[in-house]
Amino acid sequence: MGEPIIDVRDLRKTFRVTERQEGLAATLRSFVRRQRRDVNAVAGITFRIEAGEVVGFLGPNGAGKTTTLKVLSGLLYPTAGEAHVLGFVPWRRENAYLQQMTLLMGNRTQLVWDIPAADSFRVLQEIYGVPDESFRRTVGELTELLELQDLVHKPVRNLSLGERMKVEFAAGLIQSPRVAFLDEPTIGLDVSMQSRIRRFVAEYNRRTGATILLTSHYMDDVVALCRRVIVIHHGHLLYDGPLADLAERMAPYKIITATLRDGAAATIDLAAYGTVTGRDEGRVTLKVDRQGAPERAARLVNELGENLADISVEDPPIEEVIDRVFSEERVGTAT
Amino acid sequence: MIDVYRALFVGQIQAASQYRVQSVLWMLFSVIRPVIFLAAWVAVANAQGGRVASYDVRDFAAYYVALSLVSNLATSWNAYDFEFEVRMGRLSPKLLRPLHPIHYAVVENIVWKMTTIIPLLIVLGFVAVTFDARFRATPVHLVLFVPSVILGGSLAFLGGWVIATSAFWTTRVHAVSTLWDRAVFIFAGQIAPLALLPGALQTIALVLPFGYMRGVPAEILQGAVDVPTAMLLIAVQAIWVAIFYALLQVVWRVGVRQYTGVGA
Repeated sequence: MGEPIIDVRDLRKTFRVTERQEGLAATLRSFVRRQRRDVNAVAGITFRIEAGEVVGFLGPNGAGKTTTLKVLSGLLYPTAGEAHVLGFVPWRRENAYLQQMTLLMGNRTQLVWDIPAADSFRVLQEIYGVPDESFRRTVGELTELLELQDLVHKPVRNLSLGERMKVEFAAGLIQSPRVAFLDEPTIGLDVSMQSRIRRFVAEYNRRTGATILLTSHYMDDVVALCRRVIVIHHGHLLYDGPLADLAERMAPYKIITATLRDGAAATIDLAAYGTVTGRDEGRVTLKVDRQGAPERAARLVNELGENLADISVEDPPIEEVIDRVFSEERVGTAT
Repeated sequence: MIDVYRALFVGQIQAASQYRVQSVLWMLFSVIRPVIFLAAWVAVANAQGGRVASYDVRDFAAYYVALSLVSNLATSWNAYDFEFEVRMGRLSPKLLRPLHPIHYAVVENIVWKMTTIIPLLIVLGFVAVTFDARFRATPVHLVLFVPSVILGGSLAFLGGWVIATSAFWTTRVHAVSTLWDRAVFIFAGQIAPLALLPGALQTIALVLPFGYMRGVPAEILQGAVDVPTAMLLIAVQAIWVAIFYALLQVVWRVGVRQYTGVGA
């Protein structure tokens, strides 16, 4: 294993925020004496990411995901700790670093509102010092992957949100970055556009070998793109390992879905096999202990006989696992 | 860097062309105030037998025409734009590019002036003829005006950026920038030519940087100061530009560490 592309050690970021109680008296008091409180947005996290990985960075709102991305991209200075990305200390914002990195934030624009994206691309080409030939090739690829043909010549203000996100993606990748931080890249987009952006990110990673750290509240993004996830909550790292192992480690149960033949669901008591969590006509959902799941499933098949039309044993939905992680804050790192 | 500036200019000219009517209206608005002061001083001078100290009516006309031109060339609205960018998170993408954000503002500033200079000159020509302005400038004055107005513009621009940078700490800088604009209004030669300010106020105006942004280039263009004095004033302008440049380096370096990326 070579040098990691992203190397974060005990990174911390504390914001000092001003607080004020409601009401006139509190407002007047705040003119004289302000109450301040320290908020530990990132409370000491450590992880490494290797070249070419696509890693999902998960956590509820306020977990510290975006703050971490801002520190790693160089936008914010940390309060303590170390980080190296591509061998650079991000917050020094050396040009050599900025030329190889991008931070794309969903719903945030970096394009000039009043001119077509193609003209913004030209400006970015000069700022990043991209040679003409590379620029043409990159724009050509991005145009093809993101289907931008009709979009880049319209003023950005005339584009829909989804169209704008696509040209924002292209603008953020003009310099062919080796590291991309994507913060909620599909937020606010319709299902079809989300899917297109996902395919694009996967294809971009495959073609360029870029390392990608991605935050998203849409688990579909994470499932489609990331084999590895890092979960943080209240600024602490809760889990770092394969997505596939997250459920195994964080949810000690499995879901058995049994589909019963006409009328059987009403007469057979399935509570003996596990905790019934849902009934939808003939489909009954059971939550069972992870270890005992095969044995319970076998019993269901044997004992229900012809009353059973279909049966499946699955991990709980990833959203449920994540929700469980956030609510219980189980700490663990896969090795 | 030349290629970068060329690309920024092209982009900014395209953006500015979308709002050319607005630009011209802003320019006209900026001329109204000096013309009002001109009319007021003409009334005062006429009431005093045609003169106020060393200025007669035609000198006032030349001064305020020159001041209007300089005000347009040396104006800077960075603090307001910068506050908006900090508050809305629009600064973040600029901070993450290998180009200091000040360069975008430089280009924006210059392009605005380019798009408004021709209609401005037409309007000022009309004012000059109407009020029978008398310029005493020699060719040497005209040559000295060029560095003087560039230094005045640079000083206003850098001063505006120093003020704007306080947004890193306060997020909102409107009050500070308004105070700065009021100081410009009082001490930069808008109310009266610096030479006509009463004793103490004139001393203060010559010590503070504001007069060197607008009043000094205007007086040089008008030909109100002799050539050696003009050169001395230009030297003082250069010192102020150096001071504000150094100040901006320090304030930026410290301030950018405070940036919290709110709204981004």
